[in-house]
Amino acid sequence: MILPEIMPDINFFEFVLYPTSKGPVTLGDLIKFIVILSFSVLLSRVLTIYLRRSLKDRVSKDVGEPILKLLYYSSLIVVFISTLPLIGLDPSGLLLAGGVAGIVLGFASQNIVGNLVSGCFLMFERPIKIGDQVEINGTAGYVTDIRIISTLIRTYDGLLVRLPNQQVFTTNITNIVGHPVRRFEYTVRIRYSDDASAAIWLIKELIDKEPFALLNPSPSVFVTELGESSVNIIVRIWAPVSEWFGLKTKLLWNIKKTLEENGIEIPFPQRVLHIKKDSERKPQAIEEPKEKQFEENEYVLNFEERVLN
Amino acid sequence: MYGYYDPPFSVEQEGISVSVERTGDRWTYRRTLGRDEVEKLILGDRKRIIINPVEPLNTPKEITPNLLIEFEKTLLLAGGEKKQIFLTFPVEIGVFISESENKSLQLIDVFTLVRQKFTLYGEVSNGVVCKHWKSRLYSVSPSLNPLQEGIMELTLRNTSSDWASISKAVFSAYGMKLYYDGDVFMKARMDILNRNTAETGFEMQPINGEMKGSLVKDRKIRKEAFGVYGLRKLGFVPLKFYMGWGF
Repeated sequence: MILPEIMPDINFFEFVLYPTSKGPVTLGDLIKFIVILSFSVLLSRVLTIYLRRSLKDRVSKDVGEPILKLLYYSSLIVVFISTLPLIGLDPSGLLLAGGVAGIVLGFASQNIVGNLVSGCFLMFERPIKIGDQVEINGTAGYVTDIRIISTLIRTYDGLLVRLPNQQVFTTNITNIVGHPVRRFEYTVRIRYSDDASAAIWLIKELIDKEPFALLNPSPSVFVTELGESSVNIIVRIWAPVSEWFGLKTKLLWNIKKTLEENGIEIPFPQRVLHIKKDSERKPQAIEEPKEKQFEENEYVLNFEERVLN
Repeated sequence: MYGYYDPPFSVEQEGISVSVERTGDRWTYRRTLGRDEVEKLILGDRKRIIINPVEPLNTPKEITPNLLIEFEKTLLLAGGEKKQIFLTFPVEIGVFISESENKSLQLIDVFTLVRQKFTLYGEVSNGVVCKHWKSRLYSVSPSLNPLQEGIMELTLRNTSSDWASISKAVFSAYGMKLYYDGDVFMKARMDILNRNTAETGFEMQPINGEMKGSLVKDRKIRKEAFGVYGLRKLGFVPLKFYMGWGF
């Protein structure tokens, strides 16, 4: 009861903060502006959560998330612009000032704007989607979120890496799951004494039993090289991108076991050395060049001379 | 094996053993197929178990909703022609649990007796991974083991004026309607749109009198199977498959 006695005529809401061309801005106006803005942020968040839940089973995350973000930010911008007159700012004036302000802001926040623009391009061009396995600038993992300014990657060992969108957009992106299928290969080495045709047949049989080893594009198994200590067989298999790693890790050991069960072994690197005793060594006579051989050498010498001249 | 079962029960056929037994205050679902064994606990009474064929796209893992049936022999269809053939498709067996009157259906288990293989339809860059099945072509409905293979009645319609050379057909599981009773049955259609494109889809099984001139076996009324894909609350999913990379 003391307060009205001390300040009988003061109404805080009518307290003038600053005058504008369209009248003074009171404390009440400012509070109204803050309350409307806060309420719209809250409402937008609640709506986004509700939409995210209801769209969860109907729309994939990579499509739904950009739409939700677009709705969230655009609703906030609309509310912000429409409430600006409360604090004495004219949105049309902002448009006029936008050119100058844009240049100033552009210089001042070059990186942020660059990231923002890159983020928009990433959302429209969509070289990567949420959930994709990617490798960007040496960072490999799953894309967990594409935000306005940055992209979040969960690496295979569980680390969270935040990449600025400008970096994502301007660097080389390898999308591991960009295509529905991918190929992997092994080189299987067998002994020279083993039957390569039998090994190829056994490997093909194993591939045929694997559901995820695709029929088309067809797998190829063939002798690729006659190595120093082994006959090298190359095995190329196509698999769905979601299954290739599991298949790759499973099949190699199965190939090794099956070949060994059938008497085909993977050799260790080896070199055959022939050691001769002194008694077996024959004296090497220095042979004089035959007449024909001399002529050949002469020809070569003449040839070199011609080239040099 | 297909049908409705009230626990406790036990059924065995062709190496498959399915049982639901009471253990204390709960029920135990057990299924064995070769080395593969599944055991699940069921809490709740007065439940019904339904075993029926489901879309052949759930095992060994659900990675695609598309089934590619490769014809054993290439088929030539004249322009403007409409013909009916019979194919086979792989069968997967689904086990569901339900409240009385088939309400609140839940899939417990899916398994299969047939070989499984996947393939790519289309290009590496933008093709579609499909479950693969090779089928003979029949002019009349064949007699098959219903636990392994089903019968697909396929109506081919060439809407173009050119001859169409058909060696495969791709179907989407979202539109599949399976029926069973002694055999497993699907009725599908394939419309050839032009030299490289076609559209496939499924039809409900016609009942009584709607199939004048067809074989008696095909006129019989079968039960409609509960599908795995049919249980899902889907948004806008195309029920037809557009074959844009040839047939």
